[in-house]
Order: sequence, then structure tokens, then C-alpha cells
Amino acid sequence: MGIINNLKEFLLEQSKKDYTPYLILSVPLLFLVIFLVWPLGMSIGKAFVLRGNELIFDNFTFANFQRFFTSSMYQRSLRNSFVISFSVVFFTLLIGVPMGYFVARVEMPFKKLILSLGILPIITPAFVGAFSWVILLGKQGVVRYMANKVLGLIGLSLPPIYGLFGIIFTMTLTYLPFVFLLSHGAFKSANPLLEESAMIMGASQSRILRTITMPLILPSLGAASILVFIRAIGNFGIPAVLGGQQYVLPTLIYFRVNGFWDLNGASAIAILSVIIVVIALTIQKKVVSAREYETISTASSECKLHRHPFIKTIAIIYCSLVLLISLAPQITIITMSFFRQWIGFLPTGFTLENYKIIPQIASKAIKNSLFLATSASLLTALIGTLVAYITERRRPKGAILIDFTVMTPFVLPGIVVSVALLSAFSSGPINISGTFLILMISFVVRRTPYVFRSVAASLTQLDEALEESSTISGASWYYTFRKVTFPLILPGIIAGSILTFATLLQELSTSILLYSAKTQTLPIQIYNAVADGDFGVASSLSVLLLVTVFIAVYLMNLFVGDSASSGLKLG
Amino acid sequence: MCPNIIYKDVVKKFEGKETVEALKGVSFKIQQGELFCLLGPSGCGKTTLLRISAGLETLTSGQIFYGEKDITSIPPFRRNIGMVFQSFALYPHMNVFENVAYGLRIRKKPENVIKKKVTEIMELVGLPDVLRRNPSPTALSGGQQQRIAIARALVYDPKILLLDEPLASLDAKLRRYMRAEIRRIQKTTNITTIYVTHDQEEAMAIGDRLAIMNSGLVEQIGSSDQIYHYPDSMFVANFIGKMNFFPGTIQEVQGNNCKIKLDRNQKILDLFYKMNQKRKQEIRKGKKIVLGSRPEKLTVSTDPEGGLLPGQIRIIQNLGKVVRYEITPLLDSKNKLIEVDMEEKLSGAKEGDTVYINFDRKNTLLFSGKKAI
Repeated sequence: MGIINNLKEFLLEQSKKDYTPYLILSVPLLFLVIFLVWPLGMSIGKAFVLRGNELIFDNFTFANFQRFFTSSMYQRSLRNSFVISFSVVFFTLLIGVPMGYFVARVEMPFKKLILSLGILPIITPAFVGAFSWVILLGKQGVVRYMANKVLGLIGLSLPPIYGLFGIIFTMTLTYLPFVFLLSHGAFKSANPLLEESAMIMGASQSRILRTITMPLILPSLGAASILVFIRAIGNFGIPAVLGGQQYVLPTLIYFRVNGFWDLNGASAIAILSVIIVVIALTIQKKVVSAREYETISTASSECKLHRHPFIKTIAIIYCSLVLLISLAPQITIITMSFFRQWIGFLPTGFTLENYKIIPQIASKAIKNSLFLATSASLLTALIGTLVAYITERRRPKGAILIDFTVMTPFVLPGIVVSVALLSAFSSGPINISGTFLILMISFVVRRTPYVFRSVAASLTQLDEALEESSTISGASWYYTFRKVTFPLILPGIIAGSILTFATLLQELSTSILLYSAKTQTLPIQIYNAVADGDFGVASSLSVLLLVTVFIAVYLMNLFVGDSASSGLKLG
Repeated sequence: MCPNIIYKDVVKKFEGKETVEALKGVSFKIQQGELFCLLGPSGCGKTTLLRISAGLETLTSGQIFYGEKDITSIPPFRRNIGMVFQSFALYPHMNVFENVAYGLRIRKKPENVIKKKVTEIMELVGLPDVLRRNPSPTALSGGQQQRIAIARALVYDPKILLLDEPLASLDAKLRRYMRAEIRRIQKTTNITTIYVTHDQEEAMAIGDRLAIMNSGLVEQIGSSDQIYHYPDSMFVANFIGKMNFFPGTIQEVQGNNCKIKLDRNQKILDLFYKMNQKRKQEIRKGKKIVLGSRPEKLTVSTDPEGGLLPGQIRIIQNLGKVVRYEITPLLDSKNKLIEVDMEEKLSGAKEGDTVYINFDRKNTLLFSGKKAI
């Protein structure tokens, strides 16, 4: 009798407990398990069996990895990826750090303009940058044409942009803003007293720069470097447009899947590129964590600006030159979009045909892009917000694991995500290859980190006492979330979602493996137009894409001020 | 020997949307080996003067000399000075030893000299043990960071030491202890030192001499004793400690005695007054003046015959050493609250009671046009 009564009481007690949070919060976790953890697991598994073989232990083999020892094409791709990624990091630092220093520490006009123009290359799709450099420096490129006229006099000639040099050149310009913006922020927010005290002790300007300023901004440079590295090694569009015979790991994966439908081989390449990213991350953590300093006090004053006319002149010339070169792609494609062709000095055949033809040839791609980017952004917002809420507020035992899982796609090259999704969902019980669904899932998985970071940041700033006082007043979990938490983190959600939307509109490296005739997106159509040599149409479509992305980013700035770059940062 | 410091008509204007004149012509001299305090409310120009002394700001006009040498346009890194900042400005990316050794490394001293000097200076500032563990300065307490900042500023034997509110970020108890420490270290090294603070108690406790600054000008320079007992102006009188002011008119002058009638009061106050020779002629019959009296120089009594000025007790605060009465004057509603500090509690007086304030006839000051007579 007593036992039954106890049980009754227990059940009654349990039924009073509020289960809504568990029900709601389990949805995004389930999503992550099914569409991220499971596909990655499948992909890793497939890497160790040969194509066509079943995924069982007896078929275990290293054969897929052996190509890196036997095939010169594989070895060259690996070497290219290494060389390109490290060179791009090196050159972005070399060019971006002085620019950040000049804008932060030298008195000069139009600083705000330089900062906002400086961000343009990151919101321009990378492959658009690549093909505009083809227009300028390709076999018949205008700049090359002019340069060769001059160089020809002394018997020299500028090689066309194709190959490693072109890839490194274009990627450096594309990813320069990360280094520029992050180092600018670090130089600007540095404690001026540390430099002043060194000056009083007798240190010269160069000594202060060497022993105080640079060591203190090193963590920021480390963060910027890894951002650039991850993007450089995962970029598909630039090597695809400019690579020619030079393959890199992402184009090799594409080649493997598109040419042979060999997901197993592609998985092996994907694993290798992830290993490289992990090594780079480890090095960065090692170098930076030893030099991560808590600041003793925050300075209210700002560092003094250089006013010396010589330094000012150098700074202004340097910044204008870098800006001019890194904005050349935008100027080029806008010009190109109004002409038939651009061979030699000036573009010829002014026309509006490139625009007029858009509704006819690209309406489906535009519709697809808008539909996919919108729906995926909404879904990303939902999942990213809930996961951020779980790790920031519920803090379950495995919170670190959840954090790690949701951030994984941030460091994964886009093409690796699609290989994983294809490994899991292109055969067997769930076959969704070629559908909108698989594209949407890949978009959501890939961009959840953006919303997650953005919302997690808003949540850490939100005083928990606000939610606690709501609970104490008698509100249920759902009521508190709806009436207190959600309205207060809404700016963070909106900012993250718009950033997601803007990046998804330009997504190429994920969708290139997943699209079908039915689901072709705008970036893919541009990419195909470039491949066909139809630069006029590629340009007009790119301008359309650029304008849309620009408006989205502008809207985001309205919500979060000018901290647009913070959403792009890694931890 | 450390040099003296001479300021000659120092003017500093910050150009901007609105030009701010932070220093409006400052001239004075700091003696060799002196611990000199710059004191004043925020925005008075004391920090600007210190930063100009360091060379961190350039002056709009005027000159600064270290001894015989005009250093007006010499950049900070060639002045051979030491400076301690309010936030200490220790380098988080260097350990304690490297922080302290920084100035010696700039001066390219050999390694054994650096070691010896750093050890010596850490002993002087009372932290010889910290070097054994040699942690990052961020791991240390505020008081320890303060000592390291001082060690770092002194280790290369600068000619002049500048301290910018060095105790402002410490808690009250530590602050009192550290100010005694700073005075001890300064007296040991005998380095000419400028000490900026907005805390008058700190300045009086630590400084050999003080300069009281107000809106870009020096109001008064002197020892803490001189400034406390003989303030030159009403501003200084009320900035260093508290002073109660009572407007009145001189009725009669006889040698060092003068009779004063307080405004809106029939009673006559008979003062014994040591007049400043320079302004003696200003004290004459019929002159409007302001009487100044420190709270401890006033007394209250419940007996109407025992005091001149009637008032109502607003609040009684027992501060330990003294009992403070805040009194609302009854006759003059415009007048501010009067503070009276008594050594003992007045028996029978409670908040709301009427009492009578009396003056100490030998310790009351006279002001005219905000300046002391």
C-alpha cells in the first residue's frame, strides 16, 4: 500500500514538472546529431572502405589515402593547398597589418570610408573576385595588355593570372579585410599608457612597436590568421576559376565526386584537409594562448595619432593603393556588365542586354537562391538560438561538447560538409540527393555557428537575474523565454540571421556538389557562365548578387552598429 | 643631485571644436629633491601639467627647465625621467623582472648590472621575494603592482619622478599605507618628485609642498601647514578641509583688533587679527568682507549668551575624534549649512534644537573678493 502511494506521489510530482523546455530544446540537438554528427561519421567511415564496398569492418582499407603517396596529382594538390593557405596568411598579414596600423594610429581623412570600403571584399563572393581578375589580368586582360605594352619594350611579359600566383593574389585581396579590420581594432583599443610609459623610460618609436605594441596585438593577429587560413584552404571558387591545371584539395574533392562519383575517395581527401585545419588551429592556440593577456585596466583615453606629414603621406598613399587594388574587382564587374566584351584596352559594345536577359535565363536561379537563403536562414536562426540558449542558460553536462559540435562546420571547408551529407543521404533509406532539402540542410549546418555565436554573445551580456525574477513572479519557462529572454536577444538573432542570409546568397563551395538542374542557385549559374566564357552575363548576375548582399549587410549594420566583423570571428 | 624644475608661463590649449585652455599661464619652481604635490579638482589642469612635464603633451607657449636645461621641446624618451601611472601600466606580456628591467635594457646595461639593479630596487620597494617566483604582474595584488610600477620607474636612476594619481586605484586602507611608503622611498632616493592627486588628505600627508590648482591656474603654493592655516583664497580654504563662510561688515579697526558686524545680525564680533602687511590698508571701517572659520574653530552652546549666531541643529554625527554638528542658520535663510566640530558632545542638545554658534576670535580669517586679506 505504502509503495503504491509513494509511486502515486512520485508520478504526481513528475507530472507537475515543466517538460516544455526539454521537448523544445531537444529538437535542435536532434537536428545536429542527424545532419551533422551522423554524416561526418559516415564520411569518416567511408574514407576507410573502397567505393562500392559495404561499410563493414572486413572491408577496412587505407587504399583511399594511398593516392597521396602514389598519385602526383594528389601530392601536388596537397602541396598547393599548403602553399596557398600559408602564403595567403603571410601576405594578408604583410599587407593588412600596416593598413590597420595606419588607419588606427595616423591622423588622416576619410577613415570611416576606408573602413567601410575595406570590408567590401569579404562581402563580395570570392569567385566573382576571381573572374574579375581574369578580365583584368587574364590572357587577354586589360591590365595585362597595358603592362605588356610597356614591358614588351624591354623584352618582358606579364604571365596571365592563372595558376598558383593568381590564386594567392586573389585570395589575399579577398581575405585581407579580416586582418585589416581585426588589427585595426587591436591597434585602436590598445592601452596608450603602456606605450607612453615605455616612451618615458627612453624607448624609441621602433622599440615601442617591437617590444610593446606588436606583442600585445599578437592574439588578434593569431585570430585573424586562422580565420584567413580556414577560408583559404576551404575556398573552392577561386582555384576553380583560376587554377587551370593546378588542383587544390577542394577542387580535387569536386573532381573526385563529379568525375567518378567516388564519395569514399572524396571523404579521404576531406579528412586530410580537416586534419590540416586542425593542425593549424592547434598551432594558433599554442602560439596565442601563451600570449593571451588579461588587461590590467581598461584605458579610457585613446592612443595618440601620428601627425608627422611624412608618415601621413605614406599612410594615405598606402591605404588608397591597397583599397584601389582590392576594389578593382567590383569596379571591373560593374563596368563589364554593361559591355559585350573586354579584350584589349577598353571594353567594347556597350549594351544593356546583359541585364535584359536576366529574367529570361536566371529567374529560376534567382528564385531558388532567394528561397534557399531565406528558408535556411530562418531555420538557422531557430536552431542557432536554441542551441545557444541551451549552452548558455541550461548548461547541461555536455555543454562543451555541444559547443564544439555546433562550431565544427565553422572550420570545415564547405565542400567537406557536402561530401559528408552525400555520404549519409545519397543512398540507402534516406536519399535526398538533388533535392532542395539537402541544399537547405547543408546551408543550415554550415551557418548555424554564425547565429550561435551572435546569440550566445547576447545571452552572456543578458543578466540572468532578469529571467530569474520572471520565474520567481510565477512565470513558466516558456512564458519567461517568450516575454523576457527572446525580446532581449532579438537583436543578436537578427544580426546573425542577416549575416547568414548574406553569406548563403553567395554560397558556392557547398552547393557545387549538391545542386541539380532543378535546384541550381545564382552563384552556380554565375560560375557556369564564367566557365563558358560568358563574362557579360556573369558580370550582370554578379552585380545583382552584390547589390542584394550589400543591402543585407547594410541592414545588419543598422541592427548591430559597425561591429559587423565580430560575427565572423572564431571564439 | 637631481635638478629643480622651473615652469615659466606655461600655457596649454587643446584645439578642437571648442578650444580648451587647460593651463592659462603657470609659473613656479620645484626644489631639488622635493616631493611636490599638484592638487586640485578634476579638470583643473594638474594632469596636463604633469604630462607636459613628462613631454607627453607639447605646450602651447612657455618654457620648462630641469635645472639649467630648457627641456621644453625635448621628447619624453630623451628626458631621463620616471613615471608611475594611475593604472600602473605594467606590461602584461612581460614578467615582473622584465617589467622592471625594461628601462635598463633600453639603456643597454650589461646583464649582471641589470640583475643587481633590479634586485636592489625590488628591495627598496619592499618586494624582494616576488623576484623568486617572478610571475606576470597581472597575478599580483594592487599594492604589489603599485610597488613594481615604482620600481620600474626608479631603477634606471631617472632625474625626476612623476606620479599620476598613483594611489587612486587602491582601496582606502592600502592607500594610507602606500602613501607612507612612497614618501619613504622618495626620501631614500631623494629624487625630485611631482605627485598629482585630487585627494587633499593624501597631498597634505605626503607632500613637502603643495600647489593648489584651479581652472588652469595655480591658486597657492606652500607647505600643507601654510595652506591649511593661511589659505590665500576662499577656493583654497574650502578645497583643503572645510571652511564656513559668513558675510559681514567691518565696524571698527584698532591695531590688530577689529570689530565686525555679521549680516542680518545685531551682534558685534570682536576679532584679533594678524593682518597681512600687503593688504593691511584694505581693512578699514565699512568694508564688506567674508569671515572664514574652520569647523573645529567654531563652538556651539545651548545658552543664548554663549554664542553669536543662532541656528538649528540639522544632523549630529559622531565621527570618533570629533562630534560634527550640521547647523542651519536661523537668521539667514540663504546661508549654507554651517559645520561645527566639537571635541565633546554637547549635553542636552539634540537634532532640531536651537543652538548658538561662537567664533574663536584669534583663528578667524577675513576674505575680500574671494581672496584672503
